[in-house]
Amino acid sequence: MLGTFEKDRAWLENKYHKVEESFNPYQRMAYHGHDYDATTGQSDEEILEGLRSLAKETEGLSHPIAKVKAIEYVLKNTRIDVNEHDYFIGLYSWNRLLRETTVLKWKTEVFDEIIPEVGESMKDYNDSGAMAIWPDFDHVVPDWDSLVKLGFSGIRERAREYRITREEKCGLSDKERDFFEAIELEYTAIIGFIDRLYKYALTKNHAKAKRVADCLLHLRDGAPTNIYEAMQLIFLYFMISESVDHYQVRSLGNGLDFTLYPFYKNDIESGTFSEDEIREFLAYFMFQWSAIGNYWGQPFYLGGSGENGQTLINELSYLIVDVYDKMCIYNPKIQIKYNSNIPEKFLFKVFDMIRRGNSCFTFCCEENYIRAVMSYGATYEEARTMDIRGCYETGVRANEVSAATGYVNPLKAVSYVFSNGYEERLSKQIGVKSGEINDSWSFEDFKAAFFKQYAHIIDDVIRLANAYDPYMEYINPSSMYSATVKSSLENAFDGYGGGVKFNNSSALLCGLGTAVDAIMATKYLVYERGELTLSELKAALDANWQGYERVRAMALRCPYKYGNNSTEADECAKELSKFFVERVEGKKNGRGGVYKALLHSAMQFVWQGQKTGATPDGRLAGEEISKSASPTPGMDKNGVTALISSVTKLEPYTYSEGFCLDVMLHPTAVSGDEGLQIMKSLLDVYAARGGMVMQFNIFDANTLRDAQKNPEKYKNLQVRVCGWNVLFNNMSRAEQDAYIVRAENVI
Amino acid sequence: MSENKARIFEIKRFAVHDGDGIRTTVFFKGCPLRCVWCHNPEGISTKSELGFFSHKCSLCGDCERVCPEGVHKLEGGRHLLDRARCISCGKCVEECMAGALTVYGKDMTVDELLPMLLEDTDFYKSSNGGVTLSGGECLLWADFCAELLRELRKKGIYTAVDTCGDVPRENIDKVLPYTDVFLYDIKAIDSRLHEFATGRPNERILENLKYLDSVGAPCEIRIPFVPEFNGGELKKMAEFLSGLSNIVRVRVLPYHNYAGSKYLALGLRNTLPGKMPSEEELAEAESYFEEINMRATK
Repeated sequence: MLGTFEKDRAWLENKYHKVEESFNPYQRMAYHGHDYDATTGQSDEEILEGLRSLAKETEGLSHPIAKVKAIEYVLKNTRIDVNEHDYFIGLYSWNRLLRETTVLKWKTEVFDEIIPEVGESMKDYNDSGAMAIWPDFDHVVPDWDSLVKLGFSGIRERAREYRITREEKCGLSDKERDFFEAIELEYTAIIGFIDRLYKYALTKNHAKAKRVADCLLHLRDGAPTNIYEAMQLIFLYFMISESVDHYQVRSLGNGLDFTLYPFYKNDIESGTFSEDEIREFLAYFMFQWSAIGNYWGQPFYLGGSGENGQTLINELSYLIVDVYDKMCIYNPKIQIKYNSNIPEKFLFKVFDMIRRGNSCFTFCCEENYIRAVMSYGATYEEARTMDIRGCYETGVRANEVSAATGYVNPLKAVSYVFSNGYEERLSKQIGVKSGEINDSWSFEDFKAAFFKQYAHIIDDVIRLANAYDPYMEYINPSSMYSATVKSSLENAFDGYGGGVKFNNSSALLCGLGTAVDAIMATKYLVYERGELTLSELKAALDANWQGYERVRAMALRCPYKYGNNSTEADECAKELSKFFVERVEGKKNGRGGVYKALLHSAMQFVWQGQKTGATPDGRLAGEEISKSASPTPGMDKNGVTALISSVTKLEPYTYSEGFCLDVMLHPTAVSGDEGLQIMKSLLDVYAARGGMVMQFNIFDANTLRDAQKNPEKYKNLQVRVCGWNVLFNNMSRAEQDAYIVRAENVI
Repeated sequence: MSENKARIFEIKRFAVHDGDGIRTTVFFKGCPLRCVWCHNPEGISTKSELGFFSHKCSLCGDCERVCPEGVHKLEGGRHLLDRARCISCGKCVEECMAGALTVYGKDMTVDELLPMLLEDTDFYKSSNGGVTLSGGECLLWADFCAELLRELRKKGIYTAVDTCGDVPRENIDKVLPYTDVFLYDIKAIDSRLHEFATGRPNERILENLKYLDSVGAPCEIRIPFVPEFNGGELKKMAEFLSGLSNIVRVRVLPYHNYAGSKYLALGLRNTLPGKMPSEEELAEAESYFEEINMRATK
């Protein structure tokens, strides 16, 4: 069915790191080529040496030029592979070797020398757990349509034309000249790299060599001519950008089905490829990311609405999903633009995959995405054709950079009310001084102190990010990306420096649910039941609840827990949520754009939880906090409809960068044809109430418990953690337990 | 609206097994039958009852402290209960931080219940779901049910009544005008067998079903399938049911014995049969009703 794929699968699994060797999926550059033909190029050590000498020569050059020289060096010298087991090429040094002499060096210079006070403050915040902040270059989506239409050489040609036009019209400043020159050099280096691969392919005589060589020849000289070549181009761009150019690409295709469809149609009509051959290519293509296997996963999206409101789900969408299903993988992760026009057959096929255990799908409610994107100034057309970037973030296609800035932890703000802003972990004042906790405080006083702390963290994310923003292109010029973007070429300006129309930033909110529970538990324990005073509660928290077990049990049983459609808790959640949105949305960033709010916690629900002490909701020090729009694990007890009711009160679409809810359902709730309809109903109501992203986890607690005891029986059991999937076996015991707790409430 | 109250022991949202679509199911206290396989033993008695889950008890003694009737006693590392004294006031439940205590049965008015049932209206509408009244036997509270169903109807909500059928005809007549579908349980055709396993003969049940059918009320038949008890009755059931004309579906519900902990919590003798039907047995049981179901979907 998938051609030679099954035969080659074992080899592919080992392509990026050896399966039997330990691999840390959280480490960005943990994967690497191995067993490459040493005559094709240098080892990493040799390349590093070369880059270090090169750095001496390029000292004093502008960063775009210095960086591109390093890229050129890596692409010229890295080992390469055209393997009998693979239709896609191999690049040996996929670990950002140039980092040391370029990006990291310039980043260090910025944060240690140019704005040291900002670097210092960011470090403190990161250590405190109140905020997680760093300059983000890992959420870029190039203009794939331009890339597949023009090819690498066409992109270079187009940039030349823009350069000439501009030069004739108004002359070029030094900066503008370097901008164009870096693009010229980078695409020339890429084309040279492809030439090297092509010539190497010619020396091979295995069954796939000729096909690969033909493909490379076409990609060296022009645009892809068929679907396989288009996939190879996407893969090449991804690998070079991620591994060499230091920019992680966060979507494949502007809709993978949309970008590849013209090729598919043409190939089938002209007889270039049969459907089975296309299936085979898709299998090899998607499996690359399964083999890479890093925890954040590689996204692409499918579907959406065309200009006349018609669905963009096409025959290829079905094919992609079907091949994916047959491979039983969970990476790449697939987003579906969800709208009422989506064919039920397609939707139910995906639902069926999900209930059979594949939770790699997310549903992005298109109407609310459009609403969100238009809220920051995009036209309807720009919003309709938007890309889904990364886990589920919004992005105007081929015209938006949105860099993540800081993750705000409101639960830490609760802690700071008790400590008057003092951070015990660092023995330092991190929060603002909201006053020593005082037993004469009313609940309103307590809340006012909380909002002071909360506002301070949010405002500091923006203050710090705005301070480093002007240095983004200085640290990491984005010539490869900028060349694909027309407006960047028109403006002769780096995409990260203001070249695109929407040069935005996002601020992220974490642990909202647990923060709400903590505030409400304070109200319940201190002001309603009078079990203890504020200062006694502080003592209980400082003791990590030891000696206060009964009060802790009471806190855990507090009737006002977010996620149960409880009016009291939900009102508090609305207040916290709205406060964040209003303080973030539309604020000016340091690159000519605005801030967008994002309710998404990535891994921070674990990491910030580890750095946060015991909290009034009954949580122990170090325990995880709620993630994205979800409630605290185990605290949603009224079923999924109550959960959706609570969550949608937050007006998800007001988070213009994205808003994510994960729901857990029991397998019996979604069995049979009725079960598919039930999943659709949940999604429809969520969408109708302004929901943005929904993802499903379907299992029962017994299965999870059994998997904990017998991991060997459940090698493929996967759970949706946040923006990505993780094998259950790879989670820590504590994380597994948190899932089991949640699953127990689901009937 | 009247001050009429009914005793409710659970309100289950996102119920997907009590009729079509996404539903909220209201469980009423009290049942005329005593089915040995009952999986909701907390619904049998009309009275409110104390549930005690001993495995959760931390032996803290808070219940003993607050109980006005002396129901709880902690002695020698054990938690003893004198259930006869319990007035179901719920004070111990509120104090029990371990979550080991609960009271089954709360008296509610239609006014109190209605807003809770309307919360999921969007979900009902998008899934062709609605509200189901169940139990126990909800029709022991027929006046209340009629009033509640009428209010739900006014809001355009699709209503279902889940009944064992062993109630006076007039109780059925009260809810008939406001019920969109009856979920009607049939356990056996042989009345002696029925009485043996449920404590009651079945003549009234079958007569009531025929009556509902004669007045054109849509009925979904639900057969709790307990092989060792009614495995031999399926053919007769199919024959009986083919004589009716308003059956919308026959559903065979495989018996499960997961309810043991609730018997324990209520201090009741566990009457649950041990054997659950296998998938093959279930498929065979369902095959008896294929024809009726085929006819119904036409």
